[in-house]
Amino acid sequence: MKLSRRLFISSAAVALTAPAYLRTGLAQSAPIVIGSMTPLTGGGGPYGPEKSDAHRAVVAEVNANGGVMGREVRLISEDSETNPEAAVRAARKLIDADKVSAILGTWASSVTLGIMPLCQEANVLQLFSGSSDYLPDGDSKGLIFNLQPLNKAWAVALADLAVQRGFKEVAFAGPKNDFAASMGESFAASLQALGGSIVGEPFYYNPGQASYRAEAEQLIRMNPPAIFMAGYVTDFIPVYRELIRGGFTGQIITLSFAVGPDFKDAVGSAADGILHGSPIPPIGKDSYDAYLKLVGIEPNGQVQNSYGCMAYDEINLCLLGMEMAKSTVSSDVAAAIRQIANGPGDRVTTFAEGKALIDAGKPMNYDGASSSADFQENGMLKSRDFALYEIKDGKDEIILTTTSDATK
Amino acid sequence: MDAYLVAILTTAAIYVILALALNMQFGLTGLMNFGVVGFYGLGAYSSGIMTETLGQPIVMGMLAAMIVGGTAGALVSLLSIRLSGDFLAIVTLGFAETMRLAFNNEDWLTRGPRGFLIMTRPVLEGLGRDATAWFILGVFLLVAAVVFVVFNRLAGSPFGRVLRSIREDDLVPATLGKNVLAYRLKAFVLGSSVMALAGSLYAHYVQTVTPDNFTTQVAVLVWMSLIVGGAGNMKGAVLGALVVTAIYEGTRFLAPLMEFLTPTQVSALRFIIIGTLLIVVVRFRPEGLLPERIVARPAARDPAPG
Repeated sequence: MKLSRRLFISSAAVALTAPAYLRTGLAQSAPIVIGSMTPLTGGGGPYGPEKSDAHRAVVAEVNANGGVMGREVRLISEDSETNPEAAVRAARKLIDADKVSAILGTWASSVTLGIMPLCQEANVLQLFSGSSDYLPDGDSKGLIFNLQPLNKAWAVALADLAVQRGFKEVAFAGPKNDFAASMGESFAASLQALGGSIVGEPFYYNPGQASYRAEAEQLIRMNPPAIFMAGYVTDFIPVYRELIRGGFTGQIITLSFAVGPDFKDAVGSAADGILHGSPIPPIGKDSYDAYLKLVGIEPNGQVQNSYGCMAYDEINLCLLGMEMAKSTVSSDVAAAIRQIANGPGDRVTTFAEGKALIDAGKPMNYDGASSSADFQENGMLKSRDFALYEIKDGKDEIILTTTSDATK
Repeated sequence: MDAYLVAILTTAAIYVILALALNMQFGLTGLMNFGVVGFYGLGAYSSGIMTETLGQPIVMGMLAAMIVGGTAGALVSLLSIRLSGDFLAIVTLGFAETMRLAFNNEDWLTRGPRGFLIMTRPVLEGLGRDATAWFILGVFLLVAAVVFVVFNRLAGSPFGRVLRSIREDDLVPATLGKNVLAYRLKAFVLGSSVMALAGSLYAHYVQTVTPDNFTTQVAVLVWMSLIVGGAGNMKGAVLGALVVTAIYEGTRFLAPLMEFLTPTQVSALRFIIIGTLLIVVVRFRPEGLLPERIVARPAARDPAPG
């Protein structure tokens, strides 16, 4: 078949106008439209699906029980591609074509910050998980809520551990990205507050390299007693290998997601002795177990779906906020979310429990699957559980669980 | 929906400008520039630094982007332009990656990975949200139209004919006394500075640029636009950019029709559809939707003998 110009132009015209016809067909009743923008592909690909699933599971349950304010909730999923450029286009579609009231589920801080100007301009609520210390800077209207503690909070706990183990001089290394850059600054500040200091300059490398030998050599030459590495699993494995090969014998401190099963398989017994920590969901708590069961996972006393449980809280808070405000206007919903999340009031863990209290005219305090979900004035978490581990015989041995306080 | 179409057309206008610029370099002159995104990013950051750090008006930002982009284009091409097409392709690819690493690591200038916030916008003060969107679209369409008219004129002028002959066989124009290097340089600089101009527009439109905005993916979209539209034809470049944007954005609306798939599957399917459609176009129309048309002149008659 030869595609003539006329055929092409006419078919292109049909293809271009098709969405307009589809939309008029669909927009009959007035459902509440919420955008779920998760990293389904790209660097966040391993974590996006569990977030997306949590959003959909809650919405399905809420719709089955009569919806929010008696209206159906329509969840529109978009892929952020873990890329701010693609995310901005997806956000345009959610805001301008779907007219969403809120965008939930962004993961990478660069994506969350990238779409923030659009959301602020259109008064769209953002609930997300991200840890860059710069996140609150982009919000001037009080429309953001973050279910992940900022780097500052992580850094306090890890610096504490380093000093307890007798390491006051610690080198810092991490990939040159938003997360590690702000982690480096926060860790240095926390260490200094405890009387320690960073060895030399904070050391940043470019992620995605074929070899990290030069970087490892440079770290070894600095000869620090301990190194805190804020890497991801993809770059942490090769850097760690090069460090061991180069004869580094000091202490390694890192983040739990860098030393998961993949890492332990890759390096074997060389993993022993590493100290690591990260925010964790409250294992064994009813709200966390309820989330796991909702998405079809059996609680096993371990950390599972550490991002999915935050997505569960994102959607619950958003829907409860709308139900309480009896509105989808973002400023009203944000005010309601502050009341629901921080209390005071009866403890609730699901939308159904919260709705019952709203109908009875009683106040509530939402207790989430990822944390107690109490927010500061800028929408950042007040505190989250944080666990510190040491690897012994290829297994994580818990040192302590603390509740980090982000308000200090 | 209107607002969404305005937003997508605005994005499309940027891709149109980029495709026109690449058409000047590759379509007309045969210069393989895989570093489109390097010049694009350079323009975005130059313009941002000019307006935010130095506090100049937006026109100065656009001008700075074009000058910096053009200069970078001259340097890159002088490094490699004598070499054949493949070498230029590799050098430009390396240039784009180098630029991205520079944006990421020179925090004092670009704020590194945390992103560069840009408050200056190409609009009059005091317009509402809708009016602002339309205004920006108008500005972008105007720039795209100017670039199109200028490049289209150039393509049909003697200058354009020399570029085409260089593309086909650079020995021929060289034999006719044309300075092939100078022509290649001009075409490359012209294209690079317009790519940087597109970067400037983009930066002031999205208002936050991070190094992640300038990955090779953008360059791939521009190349797709040119190949689908028809390399060598300025109208083809415009059409190609519009078609690629339409496919890319249009596939988003398939999700409601496929409720039985999870969002993860829909997301993967979207890329499969985009890839398949492009393969189909290239398979059935390898010369592009609007192929280059070279007006055959009637052969000059042999002068009458005697």
